[in-house]
Amino acid sequence: MKLLLVEDEAALRTALLSSLKQAGYIVESAIDFAQAQEKILLYQYDCVLLDLTLPDGSGLDLLRILKASGSPAGVLIITARDALDDKITGLDLGADDYLIKPFHLSELNARLRAIIRRRQFQGQQQLVFRDLLVLPDLAEVHVRGELLTLTRKEYDLLLYLLANPGRVLTKEAIAEHLCGDAVDAADSFDFIYTHLKNLRKKLQEKGADNYIRTMYGVGYKLSTE
Amino acid sequence: MRLLAATTRYYLLLTALLFVVGSLGLYYGINWALRNEIDEQLQSRRQELVEKARAEELPPVELLQTLLPVSRQRRPEGFRDTTMLDKIEHEMVPHRLLTFPLTVSGDGTVWVTLRKSLVEAEDLMGVVLGVMLGVLALLLGGVVLINRWLSHRIWAPFRGTLATLRAYDLQQHKVLELPTPAVSEFAELNQALTVLSQRLVADYESLREFTANAAHETQTPLAIMQAQLEQLLQVPALAEDPAAAPLVADLYGATLRLSRLHQALSLLSKIENRQFAEAVPIRLDQLLTEKMAQLEPLFEARELRYGLDISGPVVVYMHPGLADSLLQNLLQNAVKHNVRGGELAVSLSPQELKISNTGPAVSGDPARFFERFRKQNAASESPGLGLSIVQQIGGYYGFGVRYSVAEGGTRHTLRVRLKAQAVPAPKKSKPSFAATE
Repeated sequence: MKLLLVEDEAALRTALLSSLKQAGYIVESAIDFAQAQEKILLYQYDCVLLDLTLPDGSGLDLLRILKASGSPAGVLIITARDALDDKITGLDLGADDYLIKPFHLSELNARLRAIIRRRQFQGQQQLVFRDLLVLPDLAEVHVRGELLTLTRKEYDLLLYLLANPGRVLTKEAIAEHLCGDAVDAADSFDFIYTHLKNLRKKLQEKGADNYIRTMYGVGYKLSTE
Repeated sequence: MRLLAATTRYYLLLTALLFVVGSLGLYYGINWALRNEIDEQLQSRRQELVEKARAEELPPVELLQTLLPVSRQRRPEGFRDTTMLDKIEHEMVPHRLLTFPLTVSGDGTVWVTLRKSLVEAEDLMGVVLGVMLGVLALLLGGVVLINRWLSHRIWAPFRGTLATLRAYDLQQHKVLELPTPAVSEFAELNQALTVLSQRLVADYESLREFTANAAHETQTPLAIMQAQLEQLLQVPALAEDPAAAPLVADLYGATLRLSRLHQALSLLSKIENRQFAEAVPIRLDQLLTEKMAQLEPLFEARELRYGLDISGPVVVYMHPGLADSLLQNLLQNAVKHNVRGGELAVSLSPQELKISNTGPAVSGDPARFFERFRKQNAASESPGLGLSIVQQIGGYYGFGVRYSVAEGGTRHTLRVRLKAQAVPAPKKSKPSFAATE
């Protein structure tokens, strides 16, 4: 899976690069418009992560170039919060999704997963993790061939965990993923706890034990072993 | 009070005063002049008689008596006013009398009384006064009429300027375009206004840029902090350390709070600077249903009994981001200040959005709940900007936001009076704003 990251802010680029590499992607990066344009026209990517505000041009123009060249790559827009209109233009131009800065890296992984899945397999897909088999188009989860019945939120939560295997997920990131943007951190995280407890119990009943680990004071992690 | 009414009032006052003074002056002046004239006439007749007496041309007293009222007895000398019966008109008529002694040669001294009717003088005075008052009254009426006409004609450019100012909208980033009228005062006014609007537009622009830049510049370091801290949490040695991991997690949480605060503040300042010009029809009922579904886990975690009542499609003209923020803040507020196992009732009609929730009784002035950084619980991690944002958005679109409390202070209701529009014909669907999977 090959990605292009277009981001002009060095520190953010470094963090994103290391997170994406950990998630198993091959990532190239471009630090400005000119470099990004060159790479887009020369190479093929599965997905482009595009910051809209670049020092020497607009990310929207890059998106136009990409779409004009007939590239099949998915596009995930990374945008500043106050540029809502750019976001709408971006989606109109054919971007697949957007993320507003600042965002959780785990959320980025989940969004990327969704884009790549939609783009590449055209519906013929399944997701395997240890004893789990997920069929996203049917919204079904099987544990060792047995169907697991989950609520909508539990299913969302499991997909989110599966997009970030082995990664420490903070309570905040999970809460925002489940309840949408801008859930107040001050509100209790009880609901994550409840949903995780139920999910764990259901997994356990089917014999998938110790999949979700609690990281004390931090959050949760989907254990890879 | 209109300018015309104000000036006319002063004109009228002054004219009325002059009218009274003028009338009085005229009356006494003419009166005095006429009496003087009559006195002079009487005096000259006396002179005539005296001279005739001296030249001994006067007839004897017997004959004189038939011509003039003559008395042998002594009479008080000088001028007198009296009324006498006019034999022709049969009414009492004012007269002026002059009595003087006359020595007729051979007959001794007699007292002669000369008299002259004042009726003609009074008639004359009546005519003069009438004409004068008529002219004054015409002048008065003329002043009022000409003022009214002038105000229509001369003030027309002023009213034009006023209409342009009323229609002026800073958000269009346009400088006022005012004509240069012939009246120099109005031309100056228009010029000053044009210069003012140029400055306003320039200031507004620079403020906008400043807000956008400041927000952007703060956002980037925050995004870096958040990303780096999240990566730090992935370091195996740290993640396993029961002392270090919660510290980093706390830092991460604090960064998130800071970035939320920053978002809320820049949202508030953007609303205040009216930087959300674009209003599109929003299906508020659909958005509300979506939001409620999104926050469902939060309701469940608090074991809230909640209900949503939508009376039909509701369309409002709003910026999509603000509509989202309005609902998000209202719902979050209702959850945050709720009690475990409490209630949350949301109802939406084309006129009103009503959110009612149970919660602990609160003290203090309800108007202050909308203040910034106002917290019911000082220890709360929330910055306390939710209701300020609700109020700002309400004010921006002219929606009235009202808070009321019932059931002994434990049921809190927020009502947003909407300005809903008719549902437009279905258009091609826009990309969804919640593109998550």
